[in-house]
Amino acid sequence: MASTPETEGQKPKHRPIVRIGIFIIAHSFIVSVVCCTAGVLALLLLPVLAKKTYVSENALMPGSAIPMITDQDVSGANNFINELTSLNSKSQSLNIEIPRLIALHMANLGGEVSYHMFQNQPNKFHPLHFFTSTDTEANNVNQTCESYATNTVGIIRAPRGDGKESIVLVTPYNPVNLSPNETLSLGIAYSVFSLLTQVSWLAKDIIWLAADSQHGQYNSVAAWLKDYHTPSFGGFGKLHDDECHISNDIIEMEVSDTLRRAGTMAAALVIKVANTGEAGEQDALNIYAEASNGQMPNLDLINVVSYLAVHGQGLRVQVDKLVSLLDSTWLKFIGEVFETVGKIARSVNPQWKFGISVKEYVEGSATLVSSLYNQALGVPTGSHGAFRDYQVDAITMEISPKLFSNSKGRQTELLFRGGRLVEGVIRSVNNLLEKFHQSFFLYLLTSSNKFVSVGVYMIAFLLLVAPLPVLAASLFSDTIKSYVKSEKNQPFKSWRWLYPTKTVFLVHLWGAIISLLPYFIYQIPDSQPTSRLLIWASLSLFILIVLGSFFRARSAEWALLKSVTVSSAFIGLCLMSVINFATAEIGALLLVPMCLMTKPWRVAGKVQSALNLVLVIIGFPGATFFVVKSVLGFENGSSLVEFWYWVESLWAWNSATYIYICMVHLPCWILCIYILLHPC
Amino acid sequence: MLAQCTMDLLFYYRSLGLSLVIEVKDKAIFYADFITAILIRAIGQLLQVADIQSLKSLGASKFSKTSENFPAGDIAALVYLWNPLTIITCLGYSTSPIENLMIVLSLYGACRRLVPLAAFGLVMASHLSLYPVILIIPLVLLIGSGLDTPPRKLFLQPNHGDGYKKTNFSWRRVVLFFLWASVWALYVLVLCSISLKEYSGLGEMFKRTYGFILSVEDLSPNIGVLWYFFAEVFDFFRDFFLIVFHINILFMVLPLAIRLHHRPCFLAFVYIAISSILKSYPSVGDSALYLGLLGLFVNALADMQFSFFLFSGYLGTLLLSPVMHNLWIWRGTGNANFYFATAMAYACFQIILVVESVSSMLNHDRALKKGATPVAKKIQ
Repeated sequence: MASTPETEGQKPKHRPIVRIGIFIIAHSFIVSVVCCTAGVLALLLLPVLAKKTYVSENALMPGSAIPMITDQDVSGANNFINELTSLNSKSQSLNIEIPRLIALHMANLGGEVSYHMFQNQPNKFHPLHFFTSTDTEANNVNQTCESYATNTVGIIRAPRGDGKESIVLVTPYNPVNLSPNETLSLGIAYSVFSLLTQVSWLAKDIIWLAADSQHGQYNSVAAWLKDYHTPSFGGFGKLHDDECHISNDIIEMEVSDTLRRAGTMAAALVIKVANTGEAGEQDALNIYAEASNGQMPNLDLINVVSYLAVHGQGLRVQVDKLVSLLDSTWLKFIGEVFETVGKIARSVNPQWKFGISVKEYVEGSATLVSSLYNQALGVPTGSHGAFRDYQVDAITMEISPKLFSNSKGRQTELLFRGGRLVEGVIRSVNNLLEKFHQSFFLYLLTSSNKFVSVGVYMIAFLLLVAPLPVLAASLFSDTIKSYVKSEKNQPFKSWRWLYPTKTVFLVHLWGAIISLLPYFIYQIPDSQPTSRLLIWASLSLFILIVLGSFFRARSAEWALLKSVTVSSAFIGLCLMSVINFATAEIGALLLVPMCLMTKPWRVAGKVQSALNLVLVIIGFPGATFFVVKSVLGFENGSSLVEFWYWVESLWAWNSATYIYICMVHLPCWILCIYILLHPC
Repeated sequence: MLAQCTMDLLFYYRSLGLSLVIEVKDKAIFYADFITAILIRAIGQLLQVADIQSLKSLGASKFSKTSENFPAGDIAALVYLWNPLTIITCLGYSTSPIENLMIVLSLYGACRRLVPLAAFGLVMASHLSLYPVILIIPLVLLIGSGLDTPPRKLFLQPNHGDGYKKTNFSWRRVVLFFLWASVWALYVLVLCSISLKEYSGLGEMFKRTYGFILSVEDLSPNIGVLWYFFAEVFDFFRDFFLIVFHINILFMVLPLAIRLHHRPCFLAFVYIAISSILKSYPSVGDSALYLGLLGLFVNALADMQFSFFLFSGYLGTLLLSPVMHNLWIWRGTGNANFYFATAMAYACFQIILVVESVSSMLNHDRALKKGATPVAKKIQ
């Protein structure tokens, strides 16, 4: 009796912030439902909330100068293309002849030319590559001249610059099998290079990298960048045998075998020409920007390119989108709802303009989904990805002509257009005084001229994960209160969470162990993907059982265990949202309902248990993979093999998504199952 | 026993791992951690004995029973050794384990009332990093009046008069302590001046060490908040804010000393925690020390609020801060604010930890007061 007035007397003592916290915790169910719904709604609203892009850096001034590319440059490029084509049909040792021809032309134009020879480095498994740098050790086994690929690098020294900055042009081509579109892209670069050797306004050096992509487009650029940024003492050429060098006695020019460098790179453009004809009426320009781990180049670079392409050259700029979503009925339905809401809003107040048409909405969401997917995978969408590892902003510009024909006139037109576009972009970047920094680095594209910035998409994510700490706090305080009621004299009530924390920690440790397992599985020779997958799965299960039996967790209160699980999921998701937002968003969509709903089946009702079961089944990464594939209508190969290759690609590209799945998602999934089966 | 086994295991494991990696001279850091842990364990045992004794004399049997259950020294030593922050500091070859060792050495010396040892620890610790100078107050209290006890007025209550031995503040020991401290300080300075004779002498040394700490010259990012502030502040305000920030630590010294004078060890913990929040170049090594010392008071802090919240917060910020650093420095897509946000969150959590631990210690004292008087109803 004595304590009752005392506790009541203590209540008003709480600080206001604590009282707000207590209020929210007391209504955790409503808060969870409202926040989750709002989070999903905000995600669906993102195409509506997207803003128009604008060139933020004033120094760029795109399109302020008249293109200077002349007939002479283009006819030179035409000749160059003809020579390449004829060489392609005649010669045998193409992987030596073509670099030599390119080098010859570069030198004739007045550039400094050097070769860069590299070997194919197979992708290796580095689970912690995200935080560490690339190791520079090369395995020099079984070197033959055939295994070398040769990048040809031409450098124009800027007449007005101090040689401290540079702009890179990359044209990937495959010397073994040179296709007409690759020759065309080489031609575009040639015409620009030919112009830039003559102009007086250059303030940054120009590097033209004709990248030998016989070992993959990304690898060639990555190898060159690595050598460019690694200081080599005692000459680069010493690494290789003399026989492997392209002898340049025949051609009388100076080709250096040591790697030539210009300044730090301000920007890089990868120029490609698509080999499929485009159906539309205009020529189109595809922009690819995603680099490893969902990193994007500065938005200004994309803005400049798309501005110049649309306003200067009349190209239709498009960004990668998920075509199968364009016909989906439910997306159209949502679009119609938003359109009507927008119309109603406009009739109320004409100043509110947030409604967009159904078509726009559907296209915006298809682009957004593809943007999210590409960022979440963490695999770069092209060779521009290699530049981002060195903090260089880079994009791939893929020109896709409306009808691909070899006719001379069409080729010249394309050379003009492509040349002018590249020239304009280079001229803009040339104006820059600093690195790209003015515009956004963290954004999602909903079309080529619309974007969602970090400040907007973070709201959707935060609304989605906000229920997690609230639920954790409410479960925790409820349990502590029940302790207080039941056993009065027991001390350390507020430290009871240590036991479930031990369990949670063990499961996360298990996650860390299984993320390293593939490294050892790869040591087993001659194994099939399916058997590797099965070995992985069975080993993981075995380790889980061993860990569980060694450290027998005291059967903790399920509510406390759930509270700790939910907080660990919250920390993991927040961490991942900083590393790679797209992964965190997709992961939150899967994890949050699962973590919020899970409850021991003996306590929960039948309906909730069934729902939990469905959520848990969908929440397993493998199951999610297949569900998403079948919903989005990708073709199905042999399922298990496909899944293995998907996982393999994740770690081959050192994607943080892989670490997220193993160290956050899977442990939380296991813990949810554990709670579901908890005997109470 | 269990604690010793675990410590041995950890010792072998870490020595095996580290002997492969580091050279002999770096091993000093690694041994420093272990000596620190052993000293913390000894302090914990002393504290526990004193605690049980005073609780028995108060007649608060409930509290003394729980106090016997939990070996505070073992827990504190294990928390210190297994703390990821300690391991990271050790692997990073930071010198903060040596500073920590000196601080703990002085505390140990004061707990055992070994005046020369306490003075040596204090002089060395403040020679190495200046901030431990404020520990002089808890050390004097420890040497003068002995280990942590419940508030003295509890013993003066009439029904407990029999169990109370009046402990006088021994001025003789304190004077001795100051004498020893000045002897050690002189000794260190003489040695320094001899070894620095070829360079520029002691004046330059003070400028380069204490001056460097006090004037916050190095603004490279760390887990504290001062680098950001002084990078932003206008130059003509700089001196003013330097004074403000350093006075900030000194402001809290006296009130805390008055409120917690009966628990000098806990006072030392609070001082260490506060100085590691507000010092000019904080590191996780400082946090490792005060988190270890927190374990010493595990019995008194049994009802600490927000423990889970603090644990999650520490974990979250400590994981987030390297990622933010990576985003800013290596990937170039973030900026300084990203990293500074985690530093601020970290500072907030540290402050909550200090506030909550102090308030729960005061609550513990209040509960003792209630528990000691047989008439009053026991509260949880």
